[in-house]
Amino acid sequence: MTRKKQRDEKLAANLTELTRKQGQWREVLMRLVRNKVGMFGAILCIALVILCIGAPLFTKWDPYEQAVINKFIYPGREHIFGTDDFGRDLWARLIYGGRYSLLIAFGATCFSTCMGVLLGSIAGYFGGRTDLLITRFLDILQAIPSLLLAIAISSALGSGPFNTMLAISMGGIAGGARMMRSVVMSIRGNEYIEAAKATGSSNARTIATHVLPNTIAPLIINASLSIGGNIMSISGLSFIGLGVQAPTPEWGSILAVGKTYIRDFWPLVVFPSMFIAITIFGFNLFGDALRDALDPKLKD
Amino acid sequence: MSLLEIKNLSIHFVTRYSDVHAVNGVDLTIEEGKTLGLVGETGAGKTTTALGILRLIQKPQGRYESGEIIFKGKDLLKATDDEMRSVRGNEISMIFQDPMTALNPILTVGDQIAEVIHLHGKCSQAEANERAVKMLEMVGIRAERAGEYPHQFSGGMKQRVVIAMALACNPSLLIADEPTTALDVTIQAQVLEMMADLKKGRGTAMLLITHDLGIVAENCDDVAIMYAGEVIEYGTLERIFHNPKHPYTLGLFGSIPSLDKDEERLHPIEGLMPDPAALPAGCKFHDRCAYATDECASCEQELAEMESGHKVRCARVMKGEI
Amino acid sequence: MGELIRVEHLKKYFNTPGGKLHAVDDVSFVINEGDTLGVVGESGCGKSTLGRTVLKLIEPTDGKIFYKGRDITDITEKENKQLRKKMQIIFQDPYSSLNPRKTVSELIADPLKAFHMLDKAGRAQKVAQLMDVVGLSQRFANSYPHELDGGRRQRIGVARALSLDPEFIVCDEPVSALDVSIQAQILNLLQDLQRDRGLTYIFVTHDLSVVRHISTDILVMYIGAMVEKCGAKDLFKAPLHPYTKGLLSAIPVPNIDHVREKVKLQGELTSPIEPKDECRFIARCPYATEACKQHMPEFQEVAPNHFVACHNVKTINNM
Repeated sequence: MTRKKQRDEKLAANLTELTRKQGQWREVLMRLVRNKVGMFGAILCIALVILCIGAPLFTKWDPYEQAVINKFIYPGREHIFGTDDFGRDLWARLIYGGRYSLLIAFGATCFSTCMGVLLGSIAGYFGGRTDLLITRFLDILQAIPSLLLAIAISSALGSGPFNTMLAISMGGIAGGARMMRSVVMSIRGNEYIEAAKATGSSNARTIATHVLPNTIAPLIINASLSIGGNIMSISGLSFIGLGVQAPTPEWGSILAVGKTYIRDFWPLVVFPSMFIAITIFGFNLFGDALRDALDPKLKD
Repeated sequence: MSLLEIKNLSIHFVTRYSDVHAVNGVDLTIEEGKTLGLVGETGAGKTTTALGILRLIQKPQGRYESGEIIFKGKDLLKATDDEMRSVRGNEISMIFQDPMTALNPILTVGDQIAEVIHLHGKCSQAEANERAVKMLEMVGIRAERAGEYPHQFSGGMKQRVVIAMALACNPSLLIADEPTTALDVTIQAQVLEMMADLKKGRGTAMLLITHDLGIVAENCDDVAIMYAGEVIEYGTLERIFHNPKHPYTLGLFGSIPSLDKDEERLHPIEGLMPDPAALPAGCKFHDRCAYATDECASCEQELAEMESGHKVRCARVMKGEI
Repeated sequence: MGELIRVEHLKKYFNTPGGKLHAVDDVSFVINEGDTLGVVGESGCGKSTLGRTVLKLIEPTDGKIFYKGRDITDITEKENKQLRKKMQIIFQDPYSSLNPRKTVSELIADPLKAFHMLDKAGRAQKVAQLMDVVGLSQRFANSYPHELDGGRRQRIGVARALSLDPEFIVCDEPVSALDVSIQAQILNLLQDLQRDRGLTYIFVTHDLSVVRHISTDILVMYIGAMVEKCGAKDLFKAPLHPYTKGLLSAIPVPNIDHVREKVKLQGELTSPIEPKDECRFIARCPYATEACKQHMPEFQEVAPNHFVACHNVKTINNM
């Protein structure tokens, strides 16, 4: 009996030694890789990114080249997704367009998430007057419809990818900050925050090491969901001519054009929608997996 | 005939990853009007046993591996779902530990009690309301508070409401799962006293689940000590408190700081309760037991009668070695 | 040994919509080095707030706190931080008091990091040593708290509190969430640490048998105010205040031959919001008289080292 116990202890010690060497990030990565659904999502996302970056490798067509005689060709051998109302190859336009869509949507998500984390965590952690001030500011921000806000910013700054990104991200700040605030407030109620203070940890350090790591789960979900929404917002802006300008391919604007022909020519609606849907799907699956991998409670 | 007789009850929780042996061959008997105290630490299987009696084990993971639960001469494990529904709340009712979550926040307490009566009592709504108010008065809550909502009551008062609800249909058995753990001592004393009075007046039998040996001493007729899903010592209150035998029971008594004796140090049981998904072979307690021999590690122990009204699950005690 | 902590007329009021909540109301005491002051009372009596206010985790409304004779009531943020090294706290809930995303070794090393004490190797060594002291096997160094049981988690909490080598620790119900056998292990650990390191404790709890076992002196609180204070063993032999009597006789005793004279308390704690100038216990006291309604009783010494706040203490106890 005692020998078996000793052996178990030794085995456990060896195991810990092993994991210690691997480090925690390695462990997170291992858990991420083991999640099959999440890996499927990741592969979707990576495939999309590769398609977009290496667009010239995957098509012989120029996304800008118009050929009016070729307009509205149904998918076939020459044009696998068909052509649009100006006779441009749809597949080429979609994979080139992904460069803008993904970059803008991703950038906007990053920016609004960062701002949301900053405002939300300060408001939630300190409470009182600081909270009141920030919440009122968020109220004002949220009172303006996000598309209207984006329109206002775009028209003030002018169109173009970077300005579009900025304009869209403004609408996401309030929602993200509010979510962050409520999460931080519930974490602040835990005794380990008080324990950190009692052991002499400063406010900034407490937020960075004890509060923020515990907000990762809702943060990632929020971000992965808003990527999809942001792609739709870009299309909204592009539709009224404030987002990405006309000949530039971009999923939203292609879809906006396709809407006009929805009864007569389906490829122009179906294919851009498919790309948007796959992106949202992929990011959500990957986001879920990332959240699980980062949570030590869900180990194994 | 006993009111409730549990024979060789085993409940396992089987998932893809583990097979948790929560309750392993438990035998218990509750006589009419008597109180049986079920004592043990977290994870000993007390609550699972209680839920098992009411067939409230979570499905599909929870499984009855073996056993009979004979209530008034009828095996509850063989009863149909309809029959079970008429038993629950009507003949056997249960009080949970946390009175805060046991009440519906959007219904008045009077309505909640009336609902139970109406459901089982086959009486009119007006009659049910009237009886609900009477029940409240019986647990020491003024009649005019029947129209108030749970959040308007303090913790102790809420537990009184829960007790009123449990007793509303005049059950013959009340299962109380740590009914006063969430309450302060002075309130606990009030609630326990009230429960004892009600029980006496109505002849209700009770299964009192607790980790507090003090509560057992003041409220129970019989005691069963549980460890790792097994009853390890079982007997009348006098036998267990005057003559505790099992090393684990002795350890429990040694862990409690005394109120009248001075001792420098407590004598806790070293180690931890084994993981119910990987129980050790032989006596479940052997790896924490100061008296364990090699034999204890290999042989299953039987719950054997040591003297009349006192059973112990320990071979060394039975041989008179401890 | 000399005095370590002196508290004079400490008050902590919280603002609520209904008025001022008197969480701690005019509490004074002295704790000598190496002693333990047990603070008991029912939930809502202000005992936890008292512990945190003494540590200056909560700013007091009024009153003074002295640490080794030095007034620490109004010190700067910087001095306050230095004070953290000397004064620590152990929490009740071993679940919510540990950050779920940190490993055991990170949790114990956290205070050292906050003070930039020791280098990485030094910290690792210190953590290993602390784990040894509190009886945690080294193989748990990289475990997360949720993988451990309540007793082991509480040991992490103890190790974290010890990491800065404090002299004074507030134990806020450190064993209330644990099973009896585990509770005894932790109590023994706390006593060993006190003996080996000369620690001074404030031990906040609602469990009277625990407090008797571990304390030198016991302070009984009721709705923010002091009710009775005396040596631990004496309090249990001869409680003088009616509330203490009721509290003591409400404890269920695991002894069936023990017949006690019982003082039954009716009702529940009254509201701590804007209490009237009368005895706080008046609504539940079986001995209440007209005098009790006039004003709050003074906290006075009725026997050597035995203080009681009751107008009728002499008549009740035939003194």
